[in-house]
Amino acid sequence: MPWKLPNRIPRSGPVILLILTFGAVVGFAAVGHLVTRYTLNQQARGRSLYQQGLAEASAGNYDDAIEAFRAALTCDPSNSQYQLSLARALRDSNDPAYLDEAESYLVALWQRTPQDAAVNLALARVAAHRGSIDDATRYYHNAMYGVWNSDSDENRNRARVELIEYLLKKNARAQADSELIALAASLPRDSTRHLQAAELFIQAQDYSGALGQYEYVLRFDPVNAKALAGAGEAAYRSADYTLAQRFLRNTVSANPQDETSRQLLTTTDLVLHADPFHSHISDAERNRRIAADFAQAESRLKECAQKTNVNLNPTEPAAPLSSPLFSLQQHWSSVKPDLQHLESPAETDLPDAVMDVVFQIEQQTAETCGQPQGLDLALLLISEKREAVPQ
Amino acid sequence: MSTPPVIVNHPASPEPQPVVRLHLRQRLFSTLEGVFHEEVFFLILSVFIGIFAGLAVVCFRLAIDWTHLALLGPLPQSHSWRLFAVPAVAGLLVGALVLHIFPGVRGSGVNQTKSALYIFNGFIPFRTAVGKFICAAIAIGSGQSLGPEDPSLQIGASIASALGRQVDISKEKLRLMAPVGAAAGLAAAFNAPISAVLFVIEEVIGRWSAGILGSVVLAAVASVVVVRSFLGSEPLFRIPVTAFKRPSELLAYVVLGVVGGFASVAFAQSIGYLRPRLKALPRWTQYFQPAIAGLLVGLIGFLGAPQVMGAGYDFMDQAMHGQYVWRFLALLALLKIVATTLSFVSGTPGGMFAPALFVGAMLGGAVGDIERLIFPHFAGSTGTYALVGMGVLFAGFLRVPMTSVFMVLEVSGNYEIIVPVIVANTASYLVSRSLQAFPIFDLLTRQDGLILPSLEEEREETILRIEDALLPAPKIILNAQDYVDDSARRVQDSSDALFLVRLHPSGWNVISRDQLQRLFREGKGELTLASVLPVKPLPSLYPDLPLDSALRYVNVYPLVPVVNRADFRRLEGVISRDSVFKKYGAMPEPK
Repeated sequence: MPWKLPNRIPRSGPVILLILTFGAVVGFAAVGHLVTRYTLNQQARGRSLYQQGLAEASAGNYDDAIEAFRAALTCDPSNSQYQLSLARALRDSNDPAYLDEAESYLVALWQRTPQDAAVNLALARVAAHRGSIDDATRYYHNAMYGVWNSDSDENRNRARVELIEYLLKKNARAQADSELIALAASLPRDSTRHLQAAELFIQAQDYSGALGQYEYVLRFDPVNAKALAGAGEAAYRSADYTLAQRFLRNTVSANPQDETSRQLLTTTDLVLHADPFHSHISDAERNRRIAADFAQAESRLKECAQKTNVNLNPTEPAAPLSSPLFSLQQHWSSVKPDLQHLESPAETDLPDAVMDVVFQIEQQTAETCGQPQGLDLALLLISEKREAVPQ
Repeated sequence: MSTPPVIVNHPASPEPQPVVRLHLRQRLFSTLEGVFHEEVFFLILSVFIGIFAGLAVVCFRLAIDWTHLALLGPLPQSHSWRLFAVPAVAGLLVGALVLHIFPGVRGSGVNQTKSALYIFNGFIPFRTAVGKFICAAIAIGSGQSLGPEDPSLQIGASIASALGRQVDISKEKLRLMAPVGAAAGLAAAFNAPISAVLFVIEEVIGRWSAGILGSVVLAAVASVVVVRSFLGSEPLFRIPVTAFKRPSELLAYVVLGVVGGFASVAFAQSIGYLRPRLKALPRWTQYFQPAIAGLLVGLIGFLGAPQVMGAGYDFMDQAMHGQYVWRFLALLALLKIVATTLSFVSGTPGGMFAPALFVGAMLGGAVGDIERLIFPHFAGSTGTYALVGMGVLFAGFLRVPMTSVFMVLEVSGNYEIIVPVIVANTASYLVSRSLQAFPIFDLLTRQDGLILPSLEEEREETILRIEDALLPAPKIILNAQDYVDDSARRVQDSSDALFLVRLHPSGWNVISRDQLQRLFREGKGELTLASVLPVKPLPSLYPDLPLDSALRYVNVYPLVPVVNRADFRRLEGVISRDSVFKKYGAMPEPK
């Protein structure tokens, strides 16, 4: 028998509407109560699963973390923290099949809160995984200028450093340079940050930029070993050997175990002693250096020819006439008689001509026989420095 | 001259205040009268139906979630004994409940709602709502491969029917309560009001009816608002980035549509084949059928595909985001068809919407992946194909082409893929129609011994129109100002027996040759036709009207003029009883 309203209740329109309205209000209250209780229960369960997921993720068990975060999301589907963590775990699992899903979660979060820096950073990392430089740069920038829940400056700098590392990895040197300049300008007075920035400058092969960062650190921390060594290396790489010598000497005296700096110092000393174009040396000293360099070039040429089985003796018919080493030998021999005119004031171009032969030999032998050591390395560095100087 | 009584009878209070009060009261009464006019009252009731259906669906969803969490845990793992033990034991309980307490809750609920509309004057017992709620929550929550949408539809319809029986409304309106509630229930379950409205029109009502559209829309919107206010507006699944860039890629979607069409036919035929056979087994076996189905579905989960258990929205979500390779997607589609067939034919209460979506998503993803392996330049992601695949199964399996298109658009909120969706759905619908005579719900009602109207039948019906029975206008047209003797002379050599008379300024009448000759013989030749013809003119019809509309006139008038809609003085032709019946093929051969 179907249930009916008692007959004593009138069926007129207003009464029915009143009853329905009352029923709706009661229904809303009851269902609201039910939903609230259920939601609270689910949220508690979700939190526990989320913690479990975080633990798994920090242990590197991304598959288990993903399962836990998924389960947490079934309990609290709209929780953006869970979504973000799931997206991060999906991305970090390094399974390309998960990348789409990670991106989809992140895009949904981004649409809800486009200013959220953490979401933008996660999206930037996904874009970086995909190799999309433009998207990655855009999202990294969003992260830098977005809203962080805590440690804004720290997080912004980290995001910029991450972007620079990514750009350097992708060989996007120009973009990396501009980011480095912005980074250097925004760093607080913190030696760790400046040292990190200097390392990035070195990776970007901007040695003068790196040197600037190291010098900044040395200004308020003059005995900072890392900064001293770094400054020495940066000066060396930027071919400022006088400055490099100063920093490297300080480094080696402060830390005699620093073999890298010691080797750099040795080479730097050799460069400074072998460079005939060094200012503040007399003509006699210059001529002496040219003659010594010329003789060193010959021995390097012979050594390399022997190593590569090239016979430099022109009388033998089997000599490989096409070998560049043989040509250089010819060239060297043709210039050798001119050495005696070095002191002549009329021969103003002769030092350059002689050193050109030296430089050609060092460059060619470096190409053929590998990186040289000692004085040959010094001569090679001098040639590079000479080439870098605008004529 | 009458004076307003209030002012005259109150000389001591000349202020206009009482007059104003009276006017307000009058206005209020007239407004209330308007509100409680049946049409308006029905609309108001529709909103309440939406609210109550929405509240019920919120509770239903919580019940399913809670059951699922309690019985299977948040994320079922393969190779856990619970995967097959829980649905089997729950199946025993559901079987007993369906057999002894809630016999009307077997299956999906769409057919029962349609039967209520067309056979039982809109009557669905409230017990059905309660039974559907409990049994479907246990079944779906325990992992039977069924969805919550169709049960929500039936719960909504049942609530509406119960509400309709408590108020004094006409039988016609009471009958319409069930589809209004059905739309509300489905909209709440799907979080998609447009699709729900279209589905109810296409599948439950089975015909386009402007009269009920307003109520259905109001109820659907009200229920969605209620559900969103409690459960939030998160979609059922996250929609991936979808794209459609090359028109040539449409061919790929045609392939998807064809594959989906075949899958739909296989799905529908497996249900159509097994269901009557299981129903025909002895009654005692029906206690165990849901349990055995649950056991088998659970075994599929236990052996490595727990994704096929329950509604599966989470896994559709994962498939749309490229989580599975095409082989696994295809396997999941196949296993879901098997699992849903088992669950459904066993008589377990639950719906086929979610399984159809699941199969479509997996199949779409698989086809999309294969096509992209062959043509790597295709822009559509796995998610795009999965999304289109959902619509494909809707179009092919449920055979609701309009709903299938709007469902995908409404769920995705992306109109960029409308062309692929339409193309793929059309292909699937055509394949399904050519291989299977009846849509799945129609097939199920026929198996139950009922034949209910469907929109597909209506679409296929040849509608006869007035223009089909149109006869050429008589050669001689008389005018109302003509004299009887002139007219009699004009028609005496004509082969026609009846003549139309053009009235002034407009309208038509008819006169026979015999009538004219009789008037002439009676000496009324000097009279005009206007003075001898009946005052009431003939009704006029238009060529595009259904032929049925002529039936009421052709038995009364020997000739009915058919006029142009743009110029009612222009005669397109005439129809007569003979011409109409001849068209219907019911006219006996003339003697």
